[in-house]
Amino acid sequence: MGDFEPKIVAFLCNWCAYAGADLAGVSRLQYPPNIRTVRVMCSGRVDPLFILEAFKDGVDGVLVSG
Amino acid sequence: MGKDRIHLAWVSSAEAQRFVEVVTRVTDSIKGQGKFDSKAFAFELAAAEKTLAGETLRWMVGKEVKITTKGDVYGRKWDKKSFEIIIDSVLEREYQKNLIFQAIKDGFTSVRVINKKIGLDLSRISYLLADLEKTGMVEFTGMEESKPVFAVL
Repeated sequence: MGDFEPKIVAFLCNWCAYAGADLAGVSRLQYPPNIRTVRVMCSGRVDPLFILEAFKDGVDGVLVSG
Repeated sequence: MGKDRIHLAWVSSAEAQRFVEVVTRVTDSIKGQGKFDSKAFAFELAAAEKTLAGETLRWMVGKEVKITTKGDVYGRKWDKKSFEIIIDSVLEREYQKNLIFQAIKDGFTSVRVINKKIGLDLSRISYLLADLEKTGMVEFTGMEESKPVFAVL
């Protein structure tokens, strides 16, 4: 399991975490490349069904951040 | 399935450092849990999807604010905590019903084989089957070797 690279879907709020991620990029902070970002206008937009759909499509984890 | 596969975190737009920490922590946690085998959980995922997409739960969540602030149609007041206990029990019930529905759909058509498939006890299965019949989701199709057999509609 040493070289297992998980696929993680991240639902990021446009105004909070997405901007935070943007700032992390601009400030050249390093973070793991495993997340696949989905930008949403509000983390309240994330339906539990989105999360199930992601798991059905074979992701290993989901992060919802707002 | 492992609830630790889903993470929720609050990061403000100014907290780039915190975002990096969160992503690192989540990635390490998922790495530790290993690969998620979606095929092995296809059955449970289908039942969970049907539960979350179902109108019962959506209706309850949608009415929560109204019922906990103004009261229900009988004028009864509910506090948030007791309403959430009800939602949890409805969630469990709907999920169990959908597990049964899914089992019948996959060809496990009598109470005993459903019990073998999903591990719910026999009386609970019979009870929920009656509910599924009432709401027109499954039907009783007859007896086979003196066992009642069901089919999905």
